[in-house]
Amino acid sequence: MPLTRRNLLGAGAAMAGVAALGGGSLWTGTAGESPLLLSARNDDAGRHYAMGYYLNGQRAFATPVRERCHAVARHPFLPVALFVGRRPARESYLLDLRDGSLLQTLHSQPYRHFYGHAVFHAQGQWLYTTENDLNEPGRGVLGRYRLDRAALQLVHDGEASTHGVGPHELAWMPEGESLVIGNGGIRTDGVSRQQMNLETMTPSLVIMDRHGALISKETLTDTQSSIRHLDVAGDGTVVTGQQYHGPAYNRVPLLAIKRPGEAYQPFPVSQTQLAMMDQYTASIAIHRQLRQVAMTAPRGNRFFIWDLDSGETLLDTPMSDCAGVGAVPGGFAVTSGQGKCRYFESRTADVQGQWLALPGGGWDNHLWSG
Amino acid sequence: MRALIMQGAVVLSVLMLAACSNPRQEVTVQLATEVLLPAHQQWHDSNAALVDSVEAYCADPQASVEKMKAAFFHAQSQWSYLQPLMIGPLSEGNRSWQVQFWPDKRNLVVRQTEALLDEAGPLTGEQLEKASVVVQGLTAFEYVLFDESLALASSRDRYCPLLNGIATHQWALSEEVLTLWRGPEGMLLQLSDFPNERYATADDGLAAILRVQITGVDVLKKKLGVPMGRLNKGVAQPYQAEAWRSQQSIGNLQASLKGARVVWQRVRSLVSDEGLVSDIDQAYADVNSRMEALPGSLVELVQAPSHRDTLAALYTALDQLENRQQIELARALNIQIGFNANDGD
Repeated sequence: MPLTRRNLLGAGAAMAGVAALGGGSLWTGTAGESPLLLSARNDDAGRHYAMGYYLNGQRAFATPVRERCHAVARHPFLPVALFVGRRPARESYLLDLRDGSLLQTLHSQPYRHFYGHAVFHAQGQWLYTTENDLNEPGRGVLGRYRLDRAALQLVHDGEASTHGVGPHELAWMPEGESLVIGNGGIRTDGVSRQQMNLETMTPSLVIMDRHGALISKETLTDTQSSIRHLDVAGDGTVVTGQQYHGPAYNRVPLLAIKRPGEAYQPFPVSQTQLAMMDQYTASIAIHRQLRQVAMTAPRGNRFFIWDLDSGETLLDTPMSDCAGVGAVPGGFAVTSGQGKCRYFESRTADVQGQWLALPGGGWDNHLWSG
Repeated sequence: MRALIMQGAVVLSVLMLAACSNPRQEVTVQLATEVLLPAHQQWHDSNAALVDSVEAYCADPQASVEKMKAAFFHAQSQWSYLQPLMIGPLSEGNRSWQVQFWPDKRNLVVRQTEALLDEAGPLTGEQLEKASVVVQGLTAFEYVLFDESLALASSRDRYCPLLNGIATHQWALSEEVLTLWRGPEGMLLQLSDFPNERYATADDGLAAILRVQITGVDVLKKKLGVPMGRLNKGVAQPYQAEAWRSQQSIGNLQASLKGARVVWQRVRSLVSDEGLVSDIDQAYADVNSRMEALPGSLVELVQAPSHRDTLAALYTALDQLENRQQIELARALNIQIGFNANDGD
């Protein structure tokens, strides 16, 4: 049976029916209650894969793809996800999560390339991506794609400005109609990946209507701190992670927070923690139930969890080339580019780590979990 | 404290016995106890000697600077030896920048050192601790000792507080790092008893050691390649060489190569492919002999067209050594020692 919304609805329901259609295991079950993890990974030979694993170590799929991927956008109810090409990618891959089969290779539009991140709208019809305008390198573009539900293909429908330069991660604000976007501020050459304006960067945090209207645009003091990754809490609190492009020995804030109704400002972490980050943050995940924010610092080989409201440090631990982090029941799952993956149980003040039975190393910097 | 050290020694002895059934764990534990920790201790000792030499020089107006220079050379050499071995605390938290400020693309060491001294009056240790890493390390120390524009003997009042502050800072830094190695959950135990907070298995620890060592070889390429002009369209940049003022660039390269080679000499027993062992042995010997044969200081050689091919051949030999380890050794040991390309995503 082809995977379409009509079939899904015909099978019984949208959300609940997915499990039945998918043979159960992918969504609810035979892997126990273990959450599904989606991420991009390279093997030791440098081949690229779109990966699905359960937290308990059981593999769902490993689909070879031509271009290296970065983040994953999962459809809100269909068992499909887009593995987004890592900048400056020309391709992204729409996969059937039941078996990992490739439904579509989504090609970037002429004079555009993907920046590695995308999100599906909650109603399931629209996908939004951050893209680079190669006619004007760095001009941020919000690509809009319609999901053809009969054919399960994404079709380019239009675009809007991200109101900034070099957009990277984007996420929905809680009301589901506006997007928060980290405009990294860097103009990237579409072929060489060369960063063209490190001395005159203009990073910004933008909140915009999904149709293109700007709602707010804020900046940080350190203009060489590229705003790259972010997550949104249930109350609309946004936490961002930066990557600093100034002198290697400088120490500048690398996390920032925008609480509802407040200005965008540095998230308070200690100078010691800042030094351990080695000027680079990779992945940010907010645990909505626990009100915690986790961050990976792969160059510093350090993983952190803080209380979102008090800023208290809950975990500050070495972890080799920690890459993607995702919120899972009771804590966070963390992948690694060079070592074993880990799970951190953070329900109590005494955070406990466990090594996961996932393959070690090669994981890219983002992890979708659910 | 002594009891704690004894207790730690007993624990380690037990761990080493346990490791005997696992050759990789055995090598990892041996590297930690017999190579890595001693290298950090030697660096610490050299910093202590540097402190002594500064105090002696600055206390006696008639004292010769030569003993202090010798102590500086030794500290710099120990630091160079340590670089391919600096897994853990020294590589974290911006600490290594405090030891040496290189590359110094904009001659910041001179500008910031002089500006600090102009502002400070007699410099206090507290002022130095609050200052930039640019002025806290061996590069600033070298500037004061060796820069031709500076007459130390007639400017002791200005520069002795700085020399004393830097030496003391280096000693305190190495003391802190050693404590982090030897502590109850320190680096030594994390490289000896698995799983732990940092490593799941001995293989992970071994891979991390090799990754640091290979990074050290890569840094050697950079230390050679930058003054050669490899990042400057082939135009030599002699004053971008590490330790150009003291003309110790090549000696430092040799010390770092020695550190990297010590790791290989422990790891080679794990490699069953005799051809690969021979190739890597040969690659180290090749680089070493090419370094020994260099006829002058690096700052001079990069400016002489007649030596361009010699330096290029050394660079190629380093590149081959790096590749042999990063690709072939990694494959032979079936451990990942490659690098994730975290280049801005």
